[in-house]
Amino acid sequence: MRIVFSLLASIFLISPASAAQAPAVKLQLALNWKAEPEFGGFYAAKLAGHFDKRGLGVDITEGGAGTPVVQMVANGKVPFGIAAGDEVVIAQARGADVVALFAVYQINPQGIMVHPERGFKSIADVFNSPGILAIQSGAPYTLFLQAKFPKARVKLVPYAGGIAQFLTDAHYSQQCFVTSEPLLAKKKSAAVESFLIADEGFNPYGTVVVARRGYVEKNQKQTRDFIDAVRAGWQEYLRAPQSANALMVKLNPAIDTETMKEAADVQKPFIVSTGTQPADLGKMTVERWTTLTNQLQEIKLIQSKPAAARLFQKY
Amino acid sequence: MTARARLAAFLPPLLPLIFSIGLAETAVRLQWVPSYLIPAPSEVFRSLLDDRIELGAAAWETLSSALVGLLLSFLAGTLFSVALSSSDLARRAFYPYAVFFQTVPIISIAPLLVIWFGFGRPTVIASAAIVSVFPIIASTLLGLKSTEPALLDLFKLYSATGRQTLWMLRIPFALPQIFSGLRIASGLAVVGAIVGEFIGGGGLGSVVDSARTQQRIDRVFAAVLISSILGLVLVGAVNFVSALSLGHWHASERKPS
Repeated sequence: MRIVFSLLASIFLISPASAAQAPAVKLQLALNWKAEPEFGGFYAAKLAGHFDKRGLGVDITEGGAGTPVVQMVANGKVPFGIAAGDEVVIAQARGADVVALFAVYQINPQGIMVHPERGFKSIADVFNSPGILAIQSGAPYTLFLQAKFPKARVKLVPYAGGIAQFLTDAHYSQQCFVTSEPLLAKKKSAAVESFLIADEGFNPYGTVVVARRGYVEKNQKQTRDFIDAVRAGWQEYLRAPQSANALMVKLNPAIDTETMKEAADVQKPFIVSTGTQPADLGKMTVERWTTLTNQLQEIKLIQSKPAAARLFQKY
Repeated sequence: MTARARLAAFLPPLLPLIFSIGLAETAVRLQWVPSYLIPAPSEVFRSLLDDRIELGAAAWETLSSALVGLLLSFLAGTLFSVALSSSDLARRAFYPYAVFFQTVPIISIAPLLVIWFGFGRPTVIASAAIVSVFPIIASTLLGLKSTEPALLDLFKLYSATGRQTLWMLRIPFALPQIFSGLRIASGLAVVGAIVGEFIGGGGLGSVVDSARTQQRIDRVFAAVLISSILGLVLVGAVNFVSALSLGHWHASERKPS
């Protein structure tokens, strides 16, 4: 009976506990997108041996559109994953006990990019002028902006990805990561202006490392080591992104070396601000989580409010 | 119909439904499958109730777009088929291009439709028309080509004009095939409309898109359920017209007496 059970357990659970006897603990970090500067610090941590040094053999797996990272973490398929701050709140509100451990982006790079000829000064202008805005319907930031600008004159249309339509239509604005699509558009020699949704007051932490609470409580040292290594990796990447970029270009050839480098530069102010100490990288506050939770309830994405202090853990 | 006969009519299709709903509910409740892979039917039902106003409006928008698309593909498809059936040369020249509509993966050209027709309804209608036109062409052409030769001879004997032969013989003779083409096309028109809405916006396509973003799989299934009901409604409408126009003469629609 015991044998059958452990056999089943080894099939169904990729349990880190069962691998604990091995010299290096095998761990997985599931990304929610392809390798890009957004994840640079994780690859840097691996390359510089920050994980190995702590006895962790970390496998970073790329994701794609619709990879259910939060569910994979909640169900114990992977110990660590990357999610957006709002996903953590929504997961907890629906009963999945997922906690945030490290937030790469202190300022969320989600934005709206527009043609500068239109003379817009803010997202309010985009919403209150005629034209087209391609934006993911149902996304938290979309619902937030729709609630903030109820008398919008702009026509909201589905966002199909990419920037093709933006390049051909002067009345077309679209969602973007200000660290990504505007760079692509400039490469095609299009003039671009972009505004941050964070400036309108919706600023969830971005690129957040998450884990299941049960896992964190059972593997406290391992989790601390993992986050320490991640922080060291990000310090590395902010200082010298070249080797991690080279690896990521190999993994994701859709982005060339030059764009990787540019994006790594552009994203810096979203990760650190003046006065940020290296040891502060990834830190989160209960105030920010409270604000986010209130906002998500106002736009009716969650019915019950999880306690802000239980949404994250400090390392 | 007596109560017993009614029961006998409805029970066979009802049993698999009840069984599969029960199975899905049990599987999710007992956590055999995680609820983010398959939602519990009770969740889907609750979502249908909670969001009924939004879903209803979306369903109406999708249905009307699908209907216009179907109408367009019916008109265009029938005209095209009549033209092709009148000349062997024309058929050999153009029929292969009709097959194009059958094989085009609509999801891959949908972004182009937006550029051609703009965001909103025109794109949705075009998408519905493109996916639904081929079965209409194929069946109508088959119908128009299979007129009984003896009857054609009879018409010739009475020196009927080409137009008379078309309207009084070939088209009526092709009606059963035309309707079976329409039946296939009507389900496809709903699919085409929803795919168009993914890109062009509006209707059930937008509901699915937004629910997927929020990982509300129960709402996704609710929308899918409604879209299949829309398909049934359209097929039912075609059946109704078919019974009206064929009932008094064609074997396929005549009631057993």
